Amino acid sequence: MAGAVQAAPQINAPAPDFQAMDADGHPRALRDFAGKTVVLEWISSDCPYTAKHYDSGTMQKLQKAARKQGVVWLTLSSAAPGRADYFTPQAAKAWEAKVHGAPAAVLLDGDGRIGRAYGAKVTPHMFIIDGAGQLVYMGGIDDRPYADPSSLKGAKPYVALALADLKAGRPVAIPVTAPYGCSIRYGAAAGFQ
Amino acid sequence: MRLLTALFVALTMALPAAAQPVKHVQAELVAEAQGIAPGQTIHVALRQQIEKGWHTYWRNSGDSGEATRIAWTLPAGWQASGFTWPAPRRLPVGPLMNYGYEGEVLLPVAITAPAAAKPGQTVQLAAKAQFLVCAEICVPEDASLTLALPVAAGPAPADPKWAPAIAQTLAAAPKPAGLAAAFQPHGTTVALAVTGPAIKAADKAGAYFYPFDATVIDHAKPQAIEQGPDGLTLTLTSGYAFQGGKAPATMAGVLAVGGKAYEISAGPSAPPSGASGLGPPPFKGDVGASLGLATAAVFALIGGLILNLMPCVFPILAMKAASLAGHGGESMAAKRQGLAFGAGAIVTFLALAGVLIALKAAGSAIGWGFQLQSPPVVAVLALLMLAVALNLSGLFEVGTSLQGAGSGLASRSGLAGAFFTGALAVVVAAPCTAPFMGPALGWALTQTPAAALTVFLALGVGFAAPFVLVAYAPGLLSRLPRPGAWMETFRKALAFPMYGAAAWLTWVLAQQAGPEDLARLFGAAVLTAMSGWLFGMAQRRAAQGGKPFALDLSAGLLAALALAAVVWPQDAAAELTSEPYSPVRLAELRAEGRPVFVNYTAAWCVSCQVNDKVAISTSQVRSAFARHKVAYLKADWTKRDSTIAAELASHGRAGVPLYLVYGTGGGDGVILPSILTPDIVVKAVEAADKP
Repeated sequence: MAGAVQAAPQINAPAPDFQAMDADGHPRALRDFAGKTVVLEWISSDCPYTAKHYDSGTMQKLQKAARKQGVVWLTLSSAAPGRADYFTPQAAKAWEAKVHGAPAAVLLDGDGRIGRAYGAKVTPHMFIIDGAGQLVYMGGIDDRPYADPSSLKGAKPYVALALADLKAGRPVAIPVTAPYGCSIRYGAAAGFQ
Repeated sequence: MRLLTALFVALTMALPAAAQPVKHVQAELVAEAQGIAPGQTIHVALRQQIEKGWHTYWRNSGDSGEATRIAWTLPAGWQASGFTWPAPRRLPVGPLMNYGYEGEVLLPVAITAPAAAKPGQTVQLAAKAQFLVCAEICVPEDASLTLALPVAAGPAPADPKWAPAIAQTLAAAPKPAGLAAAFQPHGTTVALAVTGPAIKAADKAGAYFYPFDATVIDHAKPQAIEQGPDGLTLTLTSGYAFQGGKAPATMAGVLAVGGKAYEISAGPSAPPSGASGLGPPPFKGDVGASLGLATAAVFALIGGLILNLMPCVFPILAMKAASLAGHGGESMAAKRQGLAFGAGAIVTFLALAGVLIALKAAGSAIGWGFQLQSPPVVAVLALLMLAVALNLSGLFEVGTSLQGAGSGLASRSGLAGAFFTGALAVVVAAPCTAPFMGPALGWALTQTPAAALTVFLALGVGFAAPFVLVAYAPGLLSRLPRPGAWMETFRKALAFPMYGAAAWLTWVLAQQAGPEDLARLFGAAVLTAMSGWLFGMAQRRAAQGGKPFALDLSAGLLAALALAAVVWPQDAAAELTSEPYSPVRLAELRAEGRPVFVNYTAAWCVSCQVNDKVAISTSQVRSAFARHKVAYLKADWTKRDSTIAAELASHGRAGVPLYLVYGTGGGDGVILPSILTPDIVVKAVEAADKP
């Protein structure tokens, strides 16, 4: 029935609230960050697209710049238990240490609930929620849907541009783009609405 | 020293192995000709042999992945086109959808030699191909490829191995075929209508649209197919490009239909005519697809026979048959009665089929059982079942009394009664046909109207046959048990399947509609029972010579009331639009300087619902909200919610309802009484808007 079906998130509408444990075992909910801009970043530890942005350091740079701006950056993994890139708290912490990631928290979404609520499809799939809880950006991190690291040069950094718009108090100029990357490996039973 | 040398050798030998991981795709360049003439264009293909279980991607990779790319390094003056992409395959990955290739694929490229190319030369065509290859995990691979191509004075002979393969790939590749295409967004879906001679006669089953752009549709969602006389309409789930009420300028891509693939480009305009109206194509592999008309008619006939045993139908027929049995001697009368019943049943079946075909033609997405998709119809049928059950239980009689059930057999009203019984039996049977006859009827409806009518006719004949047979075979008739006191018992026992049918329909309604509709149906059921009781009382008075006008009138009024209760249209826009409550949203709205009305409510709270109906969702309050730009927040406490519970407690409440109005001037919210009237709300809102 209607209640079980999650509609695809709509831009400029309230972002779906969520609750999850972070890698340190603390419960985190979207509403905890009310009033602040929140970035959601889906990752996979064995995805070449995630690797492109971390090996080159662009993702960490963006995370640090966002933090300086007062933005809450949440990195999420929705890979299901049993998948090669499933994140246990230890695995998540080890991976973040390895890549020197700088998110506010890594959220463990092994049951895929947050991923499904947001219609997250790939790694990296990016979402930005403004201080009022409205979804203001969804899509790719940039306009280069390639695994090749050389594609980073001259890319249009959609997420960075959206954060700059928010910082300047402007509406996000490009609010929806095509996400690209590796399929998020949801559990077998995961319906996707 | 020797050890060091050995170590060094071991390291240098090990290094290339580590730097050269196992490839999942073998890539090479193959040409359709053994050479090329100056100024000539030939096709060269990137051939990928993909490891089993792995795949590479089409130009739009779908929800994830990356299309194969190629960068050429060609001698001066040489040109290479982009890939001619063969139609892809759907590659579902969990809840996502990818488009790509498995096994072996050729991606042809047109290579043009400059007119100045010198015959006798051999040129090296070099290319770097990059592709993502995925199974459970994805690996980006690349290949630096070269192809030596001799320049010949004239067209060179074809390559015996690759010319046929490349030619076949090019022939099968999607091409424009002059198809007319248009798309129209409808809420979260978008209808893509395509027509043209190329697809007019194609088998539409399994038709699929692969968009070039990854943002126009939600790739993983099924694509519903509606056939038309000149083409088809696909109902797609709209993608990111439709966010925020926008729409892309075009939807271009590949339409795969009837084993072929065509390039189409649709604009946002009215659908071309003939793109819909013939319903969905039959399912592939379904029994129905291979059914001939004759076979379908036979199945329908058998289906009709079986329908006689359905709990919705059997009680009516059993009673009628028993009444026929009472007049075993009057075979002529029995025959006429039987025929009238048969005619009633068949005519009603055909009428229903006609309505269905007409609606189908009008483009409604309906199927058999469509009548059960409308809550008022379900509710009326449930009441009808209840009324029949009450009648069988003996609460009241219909027409002739039970004792005289067979007395009017030969009379004209008896014939009309039999015809009506036949018609009623079909109407009553309709709910039962849905689950049992669905596939066969679905098939019938995808055929021509004449074929569909034939199938419905067979169904009607099968349905009417047992009763007509009993009427025509005196032997059978005389073998039926004699009427007597047992009939009264039998009849009362038969009431229970009818109660069951009523209960089932009520359950159906509960699935379709909200608790409010259910409540209305229960209310109407009580009224129906009361009406039946009064009617029965009136009948008994009349039998004793009384004139129970008042009783009849009140029975009729109650019945009308019951009917009205379930069919009276609800004010669709009745409920005022609200936003879910959150402290953040409240703070925001107040910061905007708007008055805010917060309704703490719950589905199980009756007084909340009453307040909502009689006070909040009224035109008075609606216009007051609009006038004062009131933001309406709903804090739904139907399920346990600690935030809302805390808010309630902070206002000294342990439960709902609680109504708060926050003024534009700031300060605490004003608590409204727990029993609301429109006036209370309007006054509170007016007061709140005064700075």
